[in-house]
Amino acid sequence: MSTPVLEARDVSMVFGGLKALKGVTLTLDEGKIVGLIGPNGAGKTTFFNCLTGLYTPTTGQVLLKGNVLPGDPAKVTDAGVARTFQNIRLFPSMTVLENVMVGRHVRMKQGPLASLFHGPSYQKGERAARERSRELLSFVGLNNLDDELSRNLPYGDQRRLEIARALATDPAVLLLDEPTAGMNPQETEATQQLIFRIRETGVSVVVIEHDIKFIFGLCDSVSVLVQGELLVEGSPEVVRADPRVVEAYLGKPPEEVQHDVEAAAAAEEEQA
Amino acid sequence: MSTVDSSAKRSALAPLGKPFAIAGGVLAIVAALLPWVTFSLNDGNWPDKSTLQFFDAPFLVTGFRWHLLVLGVLVLIAAFAPIPSRGRVVRALGWGVALVSFVNAAYITVKGGGLGAITALDGATAFGGVVGIVAGVLVILAGYGIGVEPVQDWNVKVSTPVAYLVLLVSFGAVLYAVAAMLTTGGVGTANPYAGAIFLSFLGFAAGLLAALSGVGFVRWLSALSEQHRVFSVIVLAACALLLPFTEAGNEYWMTVAANIGIYAATAIGLNIVVGLAGLLDLGYVAFMGIGALVAANFSGAATAHFGITLPFPVAAVIAAIVAGIFGAVVGSPTLRVRGDYLAIVTLAFGEIFTRSAQNNIGGITNGSNAIPGIPALSLFGAEFNRSISIGAVKLPAGVLYYILIVLLVAATMAVFANLKFSRIGRAWIAIREDEDAARAMGIRTGKMKILAFLIGAMLAGLAGAVFAHKNGTVSYESFKFLESVTLLAAVILGGMGSIPGAVLGAALLFVLPEKLRDFEEYRLMIFGLALILIMRFRPQGLIPDRHRRAELANEDVGGAPVDEVHVGPKEAKA
Repeated sequence: MSTPVLEARDVSMVFGGLKALKGVTLTLDEGKIVGLIGPNGAGKTTFFNCLTGLYTPTTGQVLLKGNVLPGDPAKVTDAGVARTFQNIRLFPSMTVLENVMVGRHVRMKQGPLASLFHGPSYQKGERAARERSRELLSFVGLNNLDDELSRNLPYGDQRRLEIARALATDPAVLLLDEPTAGMNPQETEATQQLIFRIRETGVSVVVIEHDIKFIFGLCDSVSVLVQGELLVEGSPEVVRADPRVVEAYLGKPPEEVQHDVEAAAAAEEEQA
Repeated sequence: MSTVDSSAKRSALAPLGKPFAIAGGVLAIVAALLPWVTFSLNDGNWPDKSTLQFFDAPFLVTGFRWHLLVLGVLVLIAAFAPIPSRGRVVRALGWGVALVSFVNAAYITVKGGGLGAITALDGATAFGGVVGIVAGVLVILAGYGIGVEPVQDWNVKVSTPVAYLVLLVSFGAVLYAVAAMLTTGGVGTANPYAGAIFLSFLGFAAGLLAALSGVGFVRWLSALSEQHRVFSVIVLAACALLLPFTEAGNEYWMTVAANIGIYAATAIGLNIVVGLAGLLDLGYVAFMGIGALVAANFSGAATAHFGITLPFPVAAVIAAIVAGIFGAVVGSPTLRVRGDYLAIVTLAFGEIFTRSAQNNIGGITNGSNAIPGIPALSLFGAEFNRSISIGAVKLPAGVLYYILIVLLVAATMAVFANLKFSRIGRAWIAIREDEDAARAMGIRTGKMKILAFLIGAMLAGLAGAVFAHKNGTVSYESFKFLESVTLLAAVILGGMGSIPGAVLGAALLFVLPEKLRDFEEYRLMIFGLALILIMRFRPQGLIPDRHRRAELANEDVGGAPVDEVHVGPKEAKA
């Protein structure tokens, strides 16, 4: 068995008295798409923040290709893990092209002196970055919008721009936090196709999403997070069939609840 | 100013737009020809009752008549010609007419001892002022009637030679306007009307500029100059070097212009820290002070702490480096604080600097005795503070300083522009926009912030070194909190992140007090009022950077007016 691209080993995260994550383990094999689902407050975004170095896990570690990731978002991105945000966080007053070029930052080498004097090698690097950024923009389907300010883009385009910006860092792993939130069915479908195409370029993907149908249609494997714990992990079919998942999302069937209530009442009576 | 409000105004005024514009334009021309005062003031050279010779002295006492005539004619042209966003242009011209009329009428009323001076008194009538104000109000209303539409982008692409020509002519016009602005009303104390004349001219210039901006010309020009950056900087520097040959070419204005230049260079440095990286620095002038002190101590002045005298270029480089080191040192502990807290820390640093300098720390600042007697610079035996002659042309004293400082400003501009459009500049702007997202993009925000502090401080240190030699004395009093605030005001007033904005802001902030000497104790009040008005009506600054414009102007780039002004957390503090 080859080393997984990304591996979270027994990651726990404690905020004061709140245990947001309790020993979550997740592996991502190269060229796969893994989905992360769970009810609100299950700790999905916290887990993402641990993966990207925004939080340092209280215990456990995150490994990229067998190396422990540093606890600093900038260094994590440098190492090859890129992300998008649940509530879009573009640089609103920069143009579309500039947003993507900021993503190139980490793969460019010009220091302060080169930036000051704009010599030939600087020009070359800048041109290459611009070309690569344009390429990525057309890859996600944002053509001819280079000079538009990103704040003026429609919502769906902003999501795609955020993906292009993340891809500009040449990641090995792309983490998408609710990429289809607020999208209509057509846009969701387009996003699914986009994620498939991203996988084809050799990038492995982790997706957080609430849209179960989207996740099951997209992912090679799905992990369900409930109250900071990994409940189920497996192929979409396995997860879909698991009664515990249904329970986490929909609650227990009425007769079971009735049974529980009676049991509790009986216990109380006994005590009295 | 909500959308509902303005559309209501429009519906009531809509049919009256054109008639009002025509009536107002005609009235403005009439006002220009009417007498303005019922008697002769003081020595009698306040606009006499009947003179029509307003073409021979556009920037002297009667100049305002000429300005009114120009504005009136432009209103009539705007009313008929098919121009984009006509309502906006007409409104701007209306404000010009109203301001010019109001300034002059108010001044005559105050100096003449009552409203009789501008209406009827002792059988003489002079309704010029009243007619002018009415004309202004009519034209402003006409603007609303026609409908104030958003400024449109021009999609006019021109070939490089044409672009060069346009830039050349425009910057030439700017040079002319600057020379006019400096010389209107003459030197502060010599002409009793200087303040009023200057304010009146400012009203005229503001009206014209707003009209040009309304029609979309300014935006187009700034895009053009950004496209031909190198050429623009060269032409601008050349224009600035021509200033000594204009009316402003006397010792007084060379000195004022050189001071403006020093502060403009410093303001551009501050613009890197505040405008690009979004780090609010309230103690910035301390770096200029450090540069000035270092240069002073190596200058060979009698009270210098170090016995060695270094040539100016070497001393200037050392000054810049020392200031830069302090910049980085101050920058490092502030990495953990953001926004308001950062401002407080930098404020404290500024205060530490002034107190230490006041107490002659390490014996290098000489405390309140200052370091006097710093020798003037000289080049090939020509002392910078003397006048020089090139062939038959005699240039005023201080012209060499002026030239040195123009070069300094040009160099700072080039540094700013190159950094802004580079990997580093993009990283700074990204940090300003969203620090967490910037980190998630792999930007080492800490290093980048320190770099911003370091480069900003180096530029200030360099400017400080020139300052020391130019003024001959370095005292901690020149680098107090108020100076930091004034510099920050220059950056914000001109337009954050924009280079011409910083220069214009510095020019206004340091010329205005000079020009308003006439109003004595009201000087600072008028100054403050002007600042408040500019920030109310143009929160994005006079010459905004493209990004900032979108953020702070009351409009979308798409065109639809937006109700609320977007003030991000960083701007709110400024």
